[in-house]
Amino acid sequence: MKSVAKLMIKKPVLFGLAFLSAVTAQAEISIDTQLDYEVSGYFNDGAATETSSSNDNRINNSLALELEVFDSWDDGDQSISFIPFYRYDEMDEERSHGDIRELIWNKVADEYELKVGVGKVFWGVTESAHLVDIVNQTDGVESLDGEEKLGQPMVQVLLEREWGNLDLFVLPYFRERTFAGKDARLSAGLDYADAIYESSAEEKHVDVAARWSHYWEDLEYAVSVFHGTSRDAAIGYDSTRNELVPYYSQITQLGGELQYLNEGWAWKFEGVYRDGMLENSLANSGIDFPLFISPLGTQLAKEEDYFATAAGFEYTQVGIFNSRMDLGWVAEHIYDSRQDDASVGAFEHDVLLANRWVANDEADSELLVGVVYDYEYEDYSLSIEGNTRLFDGLSVEVEARVFAASSDDPQYAFRDEDLVKLTFSYYL
Amino acid sequence: MIKKIMTAALLVAVSAGSLALTPQEQGLAIAIEGDKRGEGYEDSKVNLKMVLIDKKGRESARDMRVKGLEGVGEGGDKSLMIFDTPKDQKGVAMLTFTHKEKSDDQWLFLPALKRVKKISSRNKSGPFVGSEFAFEDISSQEVEKYTYKYLRDETLNGMDCFVIERTPTDKYSGYTKQVSWIDKAEYRALKVEYYDRKKSLLKTLLNKDFKQYLGRFWRPAVSEMVNHQTGKSTRLIYDDYSFQVGLKKKEFTKNSLKRAR
Repeated sequence: MKSVAKLMIKKPVLFGLAFLSAVTAQAEISIDTQLDYEVSGYFNDGAATETSSSNDNRINNSLALELEVFDSWDDGDQSISFIPFYRYDEMDEERSHGDIRELIWNKVADEYELKVGVGKVFWGVTESAHLVDIVNQTDGVESLDGEEKLGQPMVQVLLEREWGNLDLFVLPYFRERTFAGKDARLSAGLDYADAIYESSAEEKHVDVAARWSHYWEDLEYAVSVFHGTSRDAAIGYDSTRNELVPYYSQITQLGGELQYLNEGWAWKFEGVYRDGMLENSLANSGIDFPLFISPLGTQLAKEEDYFATAAGFEYTQVGIFNSRMDLGWVAEHIYDSRQDDASVGAFEHDVLLANRWVANDEADSELLVGVVYDYEYEDYSLSIEGNTRLFDGLSVEVEARVFAASSDDPQYAFRDEDLVKLTFSYYL
Repeated sequence: MIKKIMTAALLVAVSAGSLALTPQEQGLAIAIEGDKRGEGYEDSKVNLKMVLIDKKGRESARDMRVKGLEGVGEGGDKSLMIFDTPKDQKGVAMLTFTHKEKSDDQWLFLPALKRVKKISSRNKSGPFVGSEFAFEDISSQEVEKYTYKYLRDETLNGMDCFVIERTPTDKYSGYTKQVSWIDKAEYRALKVEYYDRKKSLLKTLLNKDFKQYLGRFWRPAVSEMVNHQTGKSTRLIYDDYSFQVGLKKKEFTKNSLKRAR
């Protein structure tokens, strides 16, 4: 009896201890560490804008640390994974930032799988644009391609059935997109004001999402729906403070994905229909904004609905030139029904052409050379991304970008931002 | 059922040394018997070290774990391969559904992007993770994927063997033929020669140090593939085999790739 009483009183503590000992007794906690050193070199001084002087830093250093702590129990049916991340950037204080990429409890039962915590999911099939991928916010300061994501608080239930996989999400908290600060290269030279939300609940608006995916032979398909705070910000301008203002609408997004593999061909399509984004229609000194703040007050453009698609193929030649190498030919077309009024960062009418070289060597070397061509503005950007392993524990990645913008194009601000970036990743 | 009756009939014929069988029928009978002796393992787990050896003898290693689930009825085997090293590849996982008639289904999970990508079956002749093994060499060897021809009897390392030739039926195979030495006592493939599309000898596989598990299933502890054209080789070292451990179907789904560790 005594011990029961004691147990009752100290229940929370004991529970904590029991949990800890259960976790440590099974002693499978694994900790992995990745340390990145990144150096970027720019070929030119930054272009001066109307509102700021040029940025003449040609070399930028940055360090990033990511840990992954993982433990599982219950014969592997339950696990917790924790992935904290921190980056220090020499030039841009906005890029010096930390994030919890993941802190999530995962339970696998016979009839369902449950995840609660901060996590990350990926939706989509195309390479050039990730249109349907909406659960996680983009960590915009991390990379130019927008593929790095911030951790998203979520409750996820997955049902795996004969008729496909159904993922259901409740997303109770919104993460703001990260933007480069005014001192960074590849920035607008302006700072960002605090975000404005359509919802009065602001970042606490509870979003919901669902995705059903299935496959039949070599055809894979998925449909998804999202309702809540847009991950894309409409970027307005506050003329009273000379700052940019991110505005987050309440939107509904319907998404579709298709992929068909046929011999060496991979045919890919993804598209979204979105309702609730602001139009880019408030003209001010020759630039259109979705939102404009002046001493007279705040003006919001009206909401619109639109659709966007990315579609194309990748054809792979296996063992080209009688070697071990594979060569992939990638061609994708991106379309946005808003055309010239599309939001910043969207591809309105662009084509991606790329070659993917896979060496199939012991260092897993790969090289992707691509050009994104905007056939309306007649400008392009060229990118080269390669990676190889120097030895087990040290990898190197190279990324080079050249922007060739025509003078009336939104990309014009990037005209002097050609760069080469080297990243050394050390794994402990 | 028909296959089983045929096998039995053919086997009687083979062991009786009947001259009534064509070399093709004899070859098929040997392949079917070898396949039959591997049946009933249900599921398996093994740790695998892959050592890549270049022309100068420099080695680099990869560690992975492989789980297998035996197919029932017409369904083929399923396998899940999880990479532990090189460290930058940790958590990469590959799921394969083998099919008897059509091409296998294969998916790759890339943990950094949380992305599951379907792999084209077209690349079956390509090198598997930089090694001298092609994708088609490491996949489950279903009888239906080849046609056969019995060549001769021969002694290899003191063991009586059948020497049979098999020709891949898939036009995307990297081989015109494979010649295997199969020991008569246990039907284990001790040695396989691979001939490339130009019909010249490309690689030789030696399976060594066989051990028997559960009193039935023979597995090599070491498999060594030598590429005669490049001088490179790859050694697979299997460790800690276990069978009938109760792996479930839900551990071999596209979704399970995301939590494979």
